[in-house]
This record gives sequence, C-alpha cells and structure tokens, in this order.
Amino acid sequence: MFGSITTDMVLAILPEIALLVLIAVVFVTDLVVDEKRRGILAWTSIIGLLITMLLTAFFAQPGAEAETLWGGMLRHDWLAYVSKLIFLFGALITTVFTLNWDSVRFKGEFYVLLLTSTLGMTLMGASADLIMLFLSIETTSIPLYVLAGFLTDDDRSTEAGFKYLLFGAMTTAVMLYGFSLLYGFAGSTGLYEISAAIGAGQIPAAALAGAAVLVLVGFGFKVAMAPLHFWAPDVYEGAPTPITAFLSTASKAAGFVVLTRVMIAAFSSVQAEWQLMLAIAAVISMTLGNLVALSQTNIKRLLAYSSIAHAGYALLGVIAASELGAASVVYYFLVYVVTNMAAFGVVIVVSRVIGSDEIADYAGLSRRSPGLALVMLLAFLSLAGIPPLGGFIAKVLVFAAAVQAEFVWLAVIGVLNAIIGLYYYLIVLKVVYLTPGKDEQKALPTPRPQAVALVVSIVLLLLMGTVFAPWYQWALNSASALF
Amino acid sequence: MTPIQLVFLFVAFATLWAAFMVVTRNNLVHAALFLVIALFGVAVLFVMLEAGFLAVIQVLVYIGAIAILMIFAVMLTRGDVDDIPDITNRYAGWVGLVAVLFFSSLVILMAQWPSFTALAKPILSSRDTIVELGTALVSPNGYVIPFEVASVMLLAALIGALVVARPRKGK
Amino acid sequence: MLDQWLFVGIFVSIAAVFPLLPLVMARFLAPRKPNRIKQETYECGIETVGDTWVQFKIQYYVYALVFLIFDIETVFLYPWAVSFDVLPLFAVFEGVLFILILAAGLFYAWRKGALEWS
Repeated sequence: MFGSITTDMVLAILPEIALLVLIAVVFVTDLVVDEKRRGILAWTSIIGLLITMLLTAFFAQPGAEAETLWGGMLRHDWLAYVSKLIFLFGALITTVFTLNWDSVRFKGEFYVLLLTSTLGMTLMGASADLIMLFLSIETTSIPLYVLAGFLTDDDRSTEAGFKYLLFGAMTTAVMLYGFSLLYGFAGSTGLYEISAAIGAGQIPAAALAGAAVLVLVGFGFKVAMAPLHFWAPDVYEGAPTPITAFLSTASKAAGFVVLTRVMIAAFSSVQAEWQLMLAIAAVISMTLGNLVALSQTNIKRLLAYSSIAHAGYALLGVIAASELGAASVVYYFLVYVVTNMAAFGVVIVVSRVIGSDEIADYAGLSRRSPGLALVMLLAFLSLAGIPPLGGFIAKVLVFAAAVQAEFVWLAVIGVLNAIIGLYYYLIVLKVVYLTPGKDEQKALPTPRPQAVALVVSIVLLLLMGTVFAPWYQWALNSASALF
Repeated sequence: MTPIQLVFLFVAFATLWAAFMVVTRNNLVHAALFLVIALFGVAVLFVMLEAGFLAVIQVLVYIGAIAILMIFAVMLTRGDVDDIPDITNRYAGWVGLVAVLFFSSLVILMAQWPSFTALAKPILSSRDTIVELGTALVSPNGYVIPFEVASVMLLAALIGALVVARPRKGK
Repeated sequence: MLDQWLFVGIFVSIAAVFPLLPLVMARFLAPRKPNRIKQETYECGIETVGDTWVQFKIQYYVYALVFLIFDIETVFLYPWAVSFDVLPLFAVFEGVLFILILAAGLFYAWRKGALEWS
C-alpha cells in the first residue's frame, strides 16, 4: 500500500517545489540580511518566479493524456499547466510593481505571503480531491487576507483586510459544509470518484443541487460574482494596489479554474440546475457590475465593478459546460490577467506620483506621460472588447460558447452589457486624453522595471488579439482535459 | 431505548443548549465559557461515532487552544464587556428566519438520500486507525501533498498573524 | 471500543461533581450574613484597586497564536509518530520536512522579536 515516488510525480509538482524553495530563500534572506539591504528581496522573488516559470514551461508540461497523481490528490493536465503559468505570471508582474514602493519592499513577510498565496493557487489549478482543494484554497486565501490589510498604519487597508477575512471565512465555512455533504453522499473525496459515484445513481438530484449551492457560495466569493461580490469594491479600494491587481487577476482566475473543474467533473448529473443558478449569477454580475461602474469616481472601485462584470462574462463559458465553453474560460483569463495587470500597473505608477486614485486626477495624463496613457488606452479598450485586442477574441469566444450551448439570451445580455461597459471605459479615456489637467507640464516618469512589465503585458495583449492560434490551442488542450 | 441513545440525547441537547447560550449571553466571557461546553459536547459526539482521534483533537485544539484564544481576545478588548445592554439588532428576526429556512431545507434535502436513515456499518475493531492514519498522511499514494501543504499554510498563518498582531512603534 | 470511553465518561462526571458538591453544600449549610466588606472581591486579602476589567497586553495574544499553530502541528505529528515503526525512511523525512517548515515559523517569531516581552 505504501507507494513510491516516481519522476512523473515529481515533475507534476515541479512548480510547487520551485516555489517552496523560493519561499525558503526569501524567508531566510529576510531573517539574515539587515534592514537596509532588504531591497534585494523583491529582486530575489522576481528572478525566482522567472526561473519557476521557465522550469514549469519546459519540464512540467503534461502529456496528451491527463494523469491523476499523488494518490488522486493532483491532476496533471493542460488545464493545471496553463493555469499555473497564468498565476506565476500574475505573481511576477505584481512583484515588479512593488519594486519602488518603500512601505513593503523591505518587508520579507510581504513576499513570503505573496509567494505562498501563489503556491496555493498553483495547487488549486491542479487539485482533484476535496481535501487538497480545500487546503489549497486556504493556502491561497489566508496570505491574501493579511496582504489586503498589510498597511497596518492605513485604516482603509486594515478595513479591507478585515472585511476580506470575515466574508472569506464565512463563505469558506459554507463551502466546506458543501464539501462534507459531497463526501457523505459519494463516500470519497476524489472529484473523479465523486463523479463516478453520482453517475451510479443513489444520490437524489435535489440533495446534490443543494450541495452544489453551498459549494458555489465559496467559489462565487473567490471569483467575486454576484450575489457574492459585495466585498470586492471595498477590498479592492483599500488593499495595497499591487495586491488589488493580484486579487482581481490571479485569484479570480484560480477561482474560475476550480469552478470549471468541479462543476464539470463532479456535478455533471445536475448540470441543468447549476447552469440555471450560474446563469442568474452571470446576468446579475454583468448588469450590476457595469451599471454601478458607471457612477464611480475612484479608479480602483471602477476596476472592481468592472472585474465583477468580467466574472459575469467568463461565467458564460462555464455555463456552456462544453469543450468550447471551457476553452473560452481559459482564453478569457489568459487575456484578462494580462489586461488587468496592465490597467492596474498604470494605476500603481500614477498613484505613486500623484498620490490619488480619483479618476478626475487622471486629467491630462496623456500630456504628462504619453506612454502610460497609451497603455491605459489599450488595456481599457481590451477590457471593453475592441478588436484587435485580446479582449475582443475572449468575449467572442465566451459568447459563441453560450450560443452553441443554446443560451442565446445570455449571449444577448452579454453583448448589451459590453456596450454599457464600453461607455465607462471611454469616459476614463476621455479624462486621460481630452480633459485639461493641473500639472500638465510636469512629466510623470515610469520607473524602468515597471515600464518593462507594462510593455510585456501590452505586447502579450496585442499578440492574444492578433496571433491567437497558439493561445487558442492552449485553451483547447486545457478544455479537452476536462471531458 | 438503549443507554447509548439516552446518552446521545442528553449530550446533543446539552450541546444545543450551550450553543444557544453562546449567542444569547450579554457577557462575552460567559459566552466563551459556554462555547467550551458546546465544543466538549461535540467531542463526546465524536466518541459516540467511534472517532476517538477526532474527539481528542476536538478537546486539544478547540477547547485547549481556540477557546482560550477567544478568551484572550476578549481580554484584549478595551470596552466593558459585561455591560452590553442589547445584543440583538433590528435584523435579528430576519436572521432567525433565514437560519430556520436554511436548516429545514437542509433536512428536507438530506431526507431524500436513502443512506440518511440507514444504520452505520460497524467499524472493524481489529484495525489500528491511528497507525493507518499516520501511514496515509505520509504515503505518496495517500495524503502526503496535503500534509506538507498544511505545514506551509500553518507557517503562512503564523507569519500573517504576527504581521497583523505585532505591536507597532508609537502605539 | 465504546466501553473504553465509559471510564473516561465516569471520570469526567466525577470531576464535574467534585467541585460542584462543596459549592452546593455551602449554599445550604453555611450561615449567610452579608455586609459590604464581605461582598468585596477576594484578592489575597488586599483591597482591590481600580476596575476589574483591564486591557491585557497584546503579547499574551501573540503567545496564544503561536501556541495554537504548534498545537495543530502536534495533531498532525501524533499519527505520524504512532506509525513510525511501519514507515519507510523517506516517509520519516516527509515528517521531518513538516517539522522544519513549522520550526521556521518559530525561528521567524523569535528573530522578529515577537516573543520578547517589552
């Protein structure tokens, strides 16, 4: 009964091993290096994350057949592989944006927690067992609670951390109860064993749908979909902006990977029920997110509501419950992570200089820094879904998936919402480009590492909108691992 | 009615009563002490389900650490704790309604499941469950990944707690 | 299996009755003549100073937090230790890795001065 560890098993968790080593290095460096020289911590994390990404990309690539390893705990498939790369990329860009920010860059805890959260996400992407899933969700969330409230001298940050913790703990408890019901019904914690037990009958559909609701509460919180979105605006506004960027991209993507995998793997026999629940959630998320975003004056709150709306769009792909649907979700998040990282990157650089997140203070940005304004233009147009940017292809794919799965009405609502979305994205761009500002003569410099991160994001964004075949192939490979 | 059933009914009611007292006491320290009783009741229920290890954990972790932590937390607060005049607010009725609805819908849902009323299979007493648990925890075909991840999570929780709780200069 | 727990049950019941009994007996047997001094909180015979409810130092809480984390570590290590005999060598190292990761937390708390009583 006591198995041994094979090379395959080690390669499957290579990203996690690399992250753990990196965490140890940062942790020890923090403890032995004296305070003034701790600026190297951020660079250590950046280099470590780059190495981890390279190792993952070249050595942890799964074969054509999905494997379930480590006693059924982890799945080694394309969905896990692609999502791990997305999370690592998100963590990398987030770390770059902390580089010249003195309140965190000398704090080893910040990087240790950020990397631990990333480790949790990579495991979330691969989890094939309820116990593993729960632990990885907690490993992701607990550091994020602390990170959201990391600026303990800033009351808004403390409030953000505390709100996030309270709502998070509550929804996690509900989700855990759902897990325990699932385990009780199926007699196993493995997602694929649960799927088999459900397929064999015995479990009444109503009870299963009830368990699905409880599980969806936890996942819905993580992806900030309505009606579990209420924490997002306050937390996004109060948290340190790099953490907001991380929350709205990598954390949301991790939630979606888990949502897609669990719904398709474990709940296929009550598909119609959860499709309906998620359809309602998607409609509310899109409509509410976009309508409330219209009246926002703070850029971080605006992006928070926009991210709620985007959760709604991405849900269309999950609801389709087809190979195209799952592929569209993966594509959506490849694009969304890159786009939102660029958008938040501009917010971080600008607020470092002008000390404000009000949209009105962005007036004249195009004269102060044409480069930042251009990045903002491209990122916002991509969020709005304008060709030839990645956001356009992503939206087309999720709407196509909804239509193919005969949810035409959802696709119509989605398109209408995209038009509302375009309106407020354009308002911000109008302020950036047309409204005259106070300090138009003062240039707004972008530090070099941040500039590199922004350029990389924008290039990827353009590539995903134009040369979409290789990315789409990734998405398709990931989707086929689920069916 | 067998003696075991009598014990169960007694313990179950005591647990529910203590839990009710937790949420209705005006004095936070009293509420925390009632929580200890409720947690102990759950430990006894674990024993009756022949989950001895879980019962020990329940006492060790929940009563030994978490309840104590809560009492510490109460002692850290500045306000006068025994003088809270009214602990209910205007949503109390609605929350009660939601709780009742949630509970009854859960019972209705679970009642449709055939195993809900079935008797539990007896556990083979020849097996040493703790040894099996210990082996499973570190077996590559078992739970070694969750086992190690748990330690990373605990480490992150420790660091996070210290970051939040560490007294700051000038305060 | 359950029979073994019966003794624990009996022990717990006796333990609960033991302190309650004198309290109840005192209520019925002892004469009661209250006055102001007798009603005071007993504090080693010295008059109490100030309010009973004082705010405690945060350090108590930090200790409790560290204790909680290591309490949970014990829970995981206990079954591992019990099955030590039947485990192959690399499984023992897995347990050691678990301990090392958590020991890092203790090291961290110590280095950052969280355990100092300032």
